[in-house]
Amino acid sequence: MSETYPQGRRLNGKGVRDRNRPVRVVIASFASCFGCQLQITNMEQHLMDVLGQFELCYWQLTSSDPMPESFDVAVVEGAVTTEEAEKQLRELRERAKALIAIGACATTAGIPGMAAKGFYEHPGSVYEHVPQACGAMISPRPLSAIVDVDFEVRCCPVDPYDFTIMLQRALYGSNKLATTRMLCSDCKRNETSCFFGEGQLCMGLVTSAGCGARCVNLGRPCQGCAGISPHANLASARKSCERYGVSVSDFDEKLEMFNQTNQAMHEAE
Amino acid sequence: MTKTAISVDHIARVEGHGNVHVVIEDGEVKTVEMNVVEPARLFESMVKGRNFNDVPYIASRICGICSSSHVVTDLLAIEHAFDIEVSDRTKALRELLVYGSYLQNHATHLFVFAAPDFLGTSSIFPLSETDPDLFEKALNIKALGNELCTSIGGRSVHPITAVVGGFTSEISSTEYLVLADKLEAALPFALQTVDLFRTFRCPELQTAGDMLAMVQDDTYPVCTSRNALFVRSGQVFDAQEVDQAIEEYEVSHSAALLARVRKTGSPFFTGALARINASWDYLSKDARVAAAKAGLRPPEYNTFTNNVAQAIELVDVLIRCSELCRKLALADGFEGDSAPVSVVARAGRGVGYTEAPRGALFHDLTFDDEGRVVQASIITPTSLNVANLEADMRILAEQLVADGFDEDAIRLEIEKLVRAYDPCLSCSVH
Repeated sequence: MSETYPQGRRLNGKGVRDRNRPVRVVIASFASCFGCQLQITNMEQHLMDVLGQFELCYWQLTSSDPMPESFDVAVVEGAVTTEEAEKQLRELRERAKALIAIGACATTAGIPGMAAKGFYEHPGSVYEHVPQACGAMISPRPLSAIVDVDFEVRCCPVDPYDFTIMLQRALYGSNKLATTRMLCSDCKRNETSCFFGEGQLCMGLVTSAGCGARCVNLGRPCQGCAGISPHANLASARKSCERYGVSVSDFDEKLEMFNQTNQAMHEAE
Repeated sequence: MTKTAISVDHIARVEGHGNVHVVIEDGEVKTVEMNVVEPARLFESMVKGRNFNDVPYIASRICGICSSSHVVTDLLAIEHAFDIEVSDRTKALRELLVYGSYLQNHATHLFVFAAPDFLGTSSIFPLSETDPDLFEKALNIKALGNELCTSIGGRSVHPITAVVGGFTSEISSTEYLVLADKLEAALPFALQTVDLFRTFRCPELQTAGDMLAMVQDDTYPVCTSRNALFVRSGQVFDAQEVDQAIEEYEVSHSAALLARVRKTGSPFFTGALARINASWDYLSKDARVAAAKAGLRPPEYNTFTNNVAQAIELVDVLIRCSELCRKLALADGFEGDSAPVSVVARAGRGVGYTEAPRGALFHDLTFDDEGRVVQASIITPTSLNVANLEADMRILAEQLVADGFDEDAIRLEIEKLVRAYDPCLSCSVH
């Protein structure tokens, strides 16, 4: 069995809460669209209830307060795409008792991760002379490729309430394991029909469940934004594609959108 | 010799990573740089070779806050390249989606990013205690933008239902009517927002650059025209000729490309203020009255007033969206349905053009005969704005130095100016 997602193992199911003082939280970001941070602000009605549980020390998106020296929880969005970001991430990890990766970019390298394929071709294709301001670019990778990650909130973008649940686990502790089910099981529960029956590709066969099949419920096949489950059987999924007359090369191409840096992709080759 | 270096590392309350660097020597402003250090994700290179169907989905991820605009712009580019005509209903839904991102963006920018500058706080959160009513209403109008985007696109960030040729799902007539009621109910607060931002004092600053906005006969357009106007020079160009009208260029201090008018070399501003200058006559009546009351009438070239311009657009958007929702609720409101029309790929080039909340947005895509991307160029509002922002920062710094302001005051005013531009640095680099 391949490794399952991190879920507070380093913390032994305990939260970082300290009864004598408020927990200090920072929110930081690397290469991303900022959409997952926005999703945090997008729970308007409950925003102060969530933020009121701790001391929010640093959040560049919403506040000009500088990054503090010490804190308990680091919430991190984005993929690591420069040496500078890699160093900053290591520093955050050293100081944080708990590190929460939010969104596809942080958990799977997501869409920025697509550039990992033939990485060294890309910068020169966009810039004539790569500007100094780009820093020392490296092939994109998820946070877990560089440091230990305690909790992951998947999808592109994250669901604000999924984030809140994971934050609660970091604060108060939890022994709940991450799901490794595939999205197909959500559609079975929802009693929705299957795109494969119509000869259409859907990534639910191999993608981690948890979103409730949001896209499928709105008539669009799963695009795989949660990343493939550690229990995904890619070989079997390819056979299913063949059986339903869906192009296997389309399946493999679609996998690249959120899994380009996943080892499982390369083992299969 | 006295030398003052003003630096703001990782400027707060903007989307993305940027630093400001200003050097003043003996009362003379020497260097002014907007140092965009947002990591490059290399979208233009990444989408090469991809099937057209995946491209809007990928392009959406350029920016969280204006994801709807990126999707719609990309769809327009693809449909233009393949010569696909979509239904009027689909067009109306796309307009709603773009407007939804106006509500989200303007409410977030005005209250979460800009307002603390004028309230003297580091963030909006203290407002929850000092003025809970304003805080709640501010978040409510932002939430309404999210609700609109969720109703039409299926999600507040990165829409699901908008695909090449149409929409995969739609809400019911009843839901459209409920939405229309909510949009109308938010109008008094939007008007109050205009009044609030009108009272925030801003330095006198006349931008030297031009202004760029979409124009269309008899309309205040956001995604229904292919014509772009340089307000000051009067030059109009078709979106398909964007590469001939606008020149993008590299500088080492910015990961975002900068832009200038190709003909004149002039930098320019794009955004709410440019739109109001270009299409003032077609603002809805309430919005125009609110604008006049706020003292904003064309031509207005103080880029600080972009804040008020966005507040005016909030009013305009609420009125337009409620009208669109009411019409969508009628069985015969729009011709055709929104189910995706059939699509046949072909080789060709298409430029999609919309007015994103922060200004003109172009996606220039070339496909091969299988519908795979051969070439992509994405020109975002903030990359269009950086050169003009730097020019404005210089004018502002020179004025403040001449008026004897100290370093801290200059720093704060420059930060305010950056935020008035509402830059999206993640968009600008992409």
